Amino acid sequence: MALQNEDKLEVGYSSLQPKPKKWVLLMLRLLAFFATAAATVVMGLNKETKTLVVATVGTTPIKATLTAKFQHTPAFVFFVIANGLASIHNLVMIMGDLFGQKLDYKGLRLAMIAILDMMTVALISGGASAAAFMAELGKNGNSHARWNSICDKYKTFCDHGGGALIASFAGLILMLIISVMSIIKLLIKPKPDSTTVVP
Amino acid sequence: MIKPKRLLSLLLRFIAFGTTLAAVILMATSHEKGTFFAVSYEAKYTDTPAFKYFVIAYAIVTVYGFLVLFLPPGSPIWRLVLALDLVFIMLLISSISAAMAIAQVGKNGNPRAAWLPVCGQVAKFCNQVTGALVAGFIALITYIILLLYSIYNLLNPLFEKA
Repeated sequence: MALQNEDKLEVGYSSLQPKPKKWVLLMLRLLAFFATAAATVVMGLNKETKTLVVATVGTTPIKATLTAKFQHTPAFVFFVIANGLASIHNLVMIMGDLFGQKLDYKGLRLAMIAILDMMTVALISGGASAAAFMAELGKNGNSHARWNSICDKYKTFCDHGGGALIASFAGLILMLIISVMSIIKLLIKPKPDSTTVVP
Repeated sequence: MIKPKRLLSLLLRFIAFGTTLAAVILMATSHEKGTFFAVSYEAKYTDTPAFKYFVIAYAIVTVYGFLVLFLPPGSPIWRLVLALDLVFIMLLISSISAAMAIAQVGKNGNPRAAWLPVCGQVAKFCNQVTGALVAGFIALITYIILLLYSIYNLLNPLFEKA
């Protein structure tokens, strides 16, 4: 009789506090992983080669081959690294959610997940923002500093970069939602399981 | 008397407010005019949208930091302050990252895109922008320390339980 009362109390207690369902978080993490991985891959493989004729000697034109690679710009390098780290983080979190439910360190599992999620959000936001402003500079140039825009010459490079940026911003929004959900999971009172002694 | 926890938190918030204010002022007053042979040039922070974003973001955080300094302890708004701290840290990281990307191009140029560095001609402007970025970086680190400290204070009962 007392046990039934306790069970009823437990059920009533847990239904009062809404807990984010496990599969929602997992789906969001999967989507964020795909978004950041797509951003990494698209920007990492971003390369365009153009052959220009610079001079004509007699009848043979002298061609110069110019490439636009993402490594030329440190902001894009940071972007690739940040999104790569974010996708690794999401992958590790998904694996931990699916296969390592019992892994814990002094009861700090949820705290570590929340803090790592916040750090990843910070990383992605830094990388995406730097790359976005560099892309804006490449697209519009800067008349005050006499920097010409490069997007009219390297259209595919700019298009791919823009696509990677959009994927990264989508990943950023998803990571923000995931981070908020992790923090909520951390702050709600944990449901007392059967191993704890009820006084 | 003021508890040491509250004193430390207040001190950190004051440092954060001071450095964000310094970053805004340094960036907003960076201005240089000069002539290079017959060409007159002018460098202002409004030339680049990245620097404008930096000023706006840090100004918002300065106002927020100023308001939080006067929040009485024990008020329930402190939970909201914790959440807002996280949001504003993200804003700060994004703005300082963008400003640093553009400042790096200004200092070193990008030879493959035929972008020449401008710091040679406008050295005073460059130095002031560098100072603003350094102040912004210190503010960011202070805010991160504040956030970790708040989370630690919030989770302390949880640590004792484990």
